[in-house]
Amino acid sequence: MASVALQNLVKFYGKTQVLHGIDLTVADGEFIVLVGPSGCGKSTSLRIISGLEGATSGDVMIGERVVNNLEPKERDIAMVFQNYAIYPHMSVRRNIGFGLRTAKMSKADKTARVDEVARILSMTELLDRKPDQLSGGQRQRVAIGRAMVRDPAVFLFDEPLSNLDAQLRTQMRLEIKKLHQRVGNTIIFVTHDQVEAMTMADRIVIMKEGRIQQVGTPQEVFHLPANLFVARFIGAPEMNILKGHWRDGLVFLDGVAPFKSDVSSLLKSQPVLVGVRPDHLTVGGESPLFAGTVNVLEPLGSETLVYVTVNGTEVIAKASGRAPPAVGDVVSLSASAEDMHLFDETSGQRIT
Amino acid sequence: MSYYRNLSIAQKQIAWAWGFLAIPVVFYALIRFYPTGNAIVLAFQDWNLLGDRTWAGLDNFDKLVADPVFWIVFKNTFVYLLLGTPVSLLIAFAIAFHLDRVRFMHGFIRALYFLPFLTSAVAMAWVWRWFYQPVPIGLFNNFLSTLGIPQISFLNSTTNALPAILAPAIWAGLGFQIIIFMAGLRSIPQTYYEAARIDGVSGWTVLTEITLPLLKPTMVFLVVFSSIGFLRIFDHVFNMTTNNPGGPLNSTKPMVLMIYDTAFNGYDMGYAAAQTVVLFTVLLIVSLLQLFLLRSR
Repeated sequence: MASVALQNLVKFYGKTQVLHGIDLTVADGEFIVLVGPSGCGKSTSLRIISGLEGATSGDVMIGERVVNNLEPKERDIAMVFQNYAIYPHMSVRRNIGFGLRTAKMSKADKTARVDEVARILSMTELLDRKPDQLSGGQRQRVAIGRAMVRDPAVFLFDEPLSNLDAQLRTQMRLEIKKLHQRVGNTIIFVTHDQVEAMTMADRIVIMKEGRIQQVGTPQEVFHLPANLFVARFIGAPEMNILKGHWRDGLVFLDGVAPFKSDVSSLLKSQPVLVGVRPDHLTVGGESPLFAGTVNVLEPLGSETLVYVTVNGTEVIAKASGRAPPAVGDVVSLSASAEDMHLFDETSGQRIT
Repeated sequence: MSYYRNLSIAQKQIAWAWGFLAIPVVFYALIRFYPTGNAIVLAFQDWNLLGDRTWAGLDNFDKLVADPVFWIVFKNTFVYLLLGTPVSLLIAFAIAFHLDRVRFMHGFIRALYFLPFLTSAVAMAWVWRWFYQPVPIGLFNNFLSTLGIPQISFLNSTTNALPAILAPAIWAGLGFQIIIFMAGLRSIPQTYYEAARIDGVSGWTVLTEITLPLLKPTMVFLVVFSSIGFLRIFDHVFNMTTNNPGGPLNSTKPMVLMIYDTAFNGYDMGYAAAQTVVLFTVLLIVSLLQLFLLRSR
């Protein structure tokens, strides 16, 4: 068990800078997810923590040690790779045991350890199989087993669920979360899927172009996004962004009655961007904000996504699954003031 | 045309497949299988290339078994095989393994290794023949004499001649083997090595437990391919011992050279064909044995 800290991590590949000073502290036993679009530096950060790559400058600390110059094996970490990296010519038992080869343990202890890990992952009956006789989910579990067997201080996961189909991904997501609750090791998990990040993480680190955009619990990043990028990246469907104007405590949107917004850090009058999630924009409701014409409906069963054109801009709202409006209807949309997010028009930062 | 139109899709595909296959089938039947069959028949006949072919039964094979030269040649052929294949594969793997990590002038170095493979065996054999000459002509002996080491007779010694001929033959095939090994090494996913690095196993363990097992298909191909090459060795031997092909005292003579000798110097076609049949059988058994031993379980 150990905490992990990154201090002003910078990485160049040739002349291309991929990490612009990453600062992050992961508490002991925390499940942290690095999420962002491809090329945001999340995998690079993970590989630097693992020691597979070195940082150009900055420090990596695991526990109380600065590990910059330590080989991966000396860092007390284990990693699960996207393509699992389990050896096709070895049985499951040998694959899981591979991580123990250098451990100073008796042979009987090693066997017992492999058996225990197999039991935790409920694959005792698969131990003598070769990887090509396993399903995708089982291979994934072997890869996790291989990491677990060494009982490392920190688990690193590099997009481990990307190669699984949607159903299996949901299932493995839950299994990894349960596993974490059970063994309690620190986990750093990299994914590009915001749903994975939301469902599994204690805290989410959202990255873009080599910079951290926001660090927070799933609730924080969803309800209080730090900037436009986070607001759009987290949550599906994407947050609606409308142009507006703030003046003396009131927000004016085109063709909409102004509503109150008690943000304190604003000038007397300035343009703003107003964000509201489809989840919070409901058809009908008590305090209608604006009205528009329904373009398209996407029924999802329990609810229906409604695409509404308001003053030439398309926004997404939610209606009930049982009685949705019809295409062509003019509907009114409402949202409560606390679900309306204001962003600076130029910097994209949240206005508080 | 209506007949064709009434065929099912599967039948049409078969018709097209045979249409495309017709030329190679005819080619193989006429150029490969007919002479092969003919040679096998000839092994049981006597023929001096001009007269009639007369039935000889197993006479040619009896003669072969009783021929002391055949047994020397048989042994030589296996020495070429048993020295040439492992030595060449070991050298090729060692070079490929290290070349794979070299970034500096990688393409140039690879080209240098591949160059001998493109060179004519005859030209190469003659250059090496020159290397092996005594002072003041030969390169190696000149070098030895400047160091004050006594002369080595390479091609004139019954013990040194075979390895001396084998050396350029191994060198000639190296480029091809290196390229194939490198392709095999490149096909092993990088994450296997990264995972091993995180597990902290030694370089030797990575080599023996990950790299070599995953290279097995490559090795099976190269073992079979180069074994066939060494069993059929001819041009290096013929050109480097041109005054007395296969000499001295038959100590370098491989089977193909004996066949050539019997057929085109002795004009004993039936006897040569019998030797061919033996060579064919040896090739078949060695190849099948290797495939069996190296099969994936």
